[in-house]
Amino acid sequence: MKKTVDVAIPLGPVHPIFKEPCRIKCETFGEQILAAEVELGYMKKGIERIMVGRPWQEVMFLAERICGICSVIHNFVFIETMEKISGVSVPDRAAYLRVLANELDRMQSHLIANFSYCYTIEHETLGMYLLNIRETVMDMLEYLTGARVTCAYIVPGGVRFDPDEEDLSRIMKAMDKVEEEMLRYIRMFEHGPLIGLRSKGIGIMTAEQAELVHAVGPTLRASGIPSDCRSEHPTYQMLGFTPIVRTECDNFARIMIRFDEILQSIDIIRTIIKTLPEGKIRGGGTIGRGQTTHRGEAPRGELTYRIKSDTHGRIQEIAIQTPSIMNIEACARYMIPGGTSVADVTSAYISSDPCIACTER
Amino acid sequence: MTLLQSFKNAVRQRSIHVCYVDTGSCNGCDIEVLACLSPRYDLEQYGIYVHNNPREADVLLVIGGVTPQWEDKLKMVWDKMPEPKVAVAIGNCPISGCVYNRPDSLTRPPAKSYIPIAAEVPGCPPRPTEIIQAILSVAPLIFKDWEIRR
Repeated sequence: MKKTVDVAIPLGPVHPIFKEPCRIKCETFGEQILAAEVELGYMKKGIERIMVGRPWQEVMFLAERICGICSVIHNFVFIETMEKISGVSVPDRAAYLRVLANELDRMQSHLIANFSYCYTIEHETLGMYLLNIRETVMDMLEYLTGARVTCAYIVPGGVRFDPDEEDLSRIMKAMDKVEEEMLRYIRMFEHGPLIGLRSKGIGIMTAEQAELVHAVGPTLRASGIPSDCRSEHPTYQMLGFTPIVRTECDNFARIMIRFDEILQSIDIIRTIIKTLPEGKIRGGGTIGRGQTTHRGEAPRGELTYRIKSDTHGRIQEIAIQTPSIMNIEACARYMIPGGTSVADVTSAYISSDPCIACTER
Repeated sequence: MTLLQSFKNAVRQRSIHVCYVDTGSCNGCDIEVLACLSPRYDLEQYGIYVHNNPREADVLLVIGGVTPQWEDKLKMVWDKMPEPKVAVAIGNCPISGCVYNRPDSLTRPPAKSYIPIAAEVPGCPPRPTEIIQAILSVAPLIFKDWEIRR
């Protein structure tokens, strides 16, 4: 059948709402979007090519620089893969501290994702509130790990620094403040009539569609499928983790699920601080030879590392699968077309929380 | 100096429009630039506005070691900006390539081989305060008496 297209509207690569370069080509018929295509390739740096042949001590810092927003989880999953290869065990205290750093990182990542969404639908007030509370979380991340973005907190066999009682009580106090503020902002978002008009029933992706395009992370859980790699992780199992699911399948659900996960992260951090076991933070061990695949839950979804290393811990082969590529595809295939107008293309795109830096590496 | 020129100098110091392009960074510097917008650092109290539109920008923040796709496009973005203009490199990547400047890498740093860079803010990533300080210290110097020096 011949397709009637009015205008093909390109958005990007430099566009006021895009934080990173990317190009969305929309085929329009009047206000209606018939099809959308996302063009990538502006950020390809070839990190995996640089990693090959280098010792893990160097690759650890490269892995962290795949994505600056979720740097802790890249560090976390890479180190866990290397530990799985060489059979290095981690003391309980270090395992809990890892999760503490990871949840702080997840909170700031979700906050910046929701800020971007509020900024895109031109609700700047709520966006600024979220960005302000994010600074409190960033302070705590800096207080625990020593850096705001690239922390390198997790090392094989443990973590770098051990917080004392005073540090932990400071993090606890900050969590109380964050929770109080977050509850207020979530109420604002949930009951704001204009936000509802811009978000509810827009960018719909049903559970079947989400399964077809292999969507991951909050984008998948907002379509009603409870899939979270954290529920397979031993430390999270000890903390009694259960994934959060919503069934609305629209932009509103995707943003609300991130808000709910922030509250869940606060609860996890509180449980960790209350039940933090005493003991060493590093168990020791040597990285050796082997090949394995390991996965973890990044703020955007499932993150997989497949690594082959030699006797001295040098990386021979590495393949990384990052979550955003599936979500971007889901966005172009299902969220943008189908009833959504040109004005909603950017908000539907941002609601899937795309991260071009880790997609292209 | 004419009255008009002194008026222009005063106005340009208090109204700086910023555009940022990500030419292949890890996103770390991007979120630090975004953090400058937050009420804690409050970029707008200094008269700096982030528009992200090169056609109305005075300052271009270049983030990231330059990837092959950006080699010609960075110059195009720079050419679109109206005079007087200034480019600031944020982070280690546009200065030296940082961790990406290795054999087999696809990035081609430094950024100053493509466009003239007036100031560089090293760090991986630099703190938001350092980014604001760099913009505030370099932009008025470039814009001062621009019509006379031209």
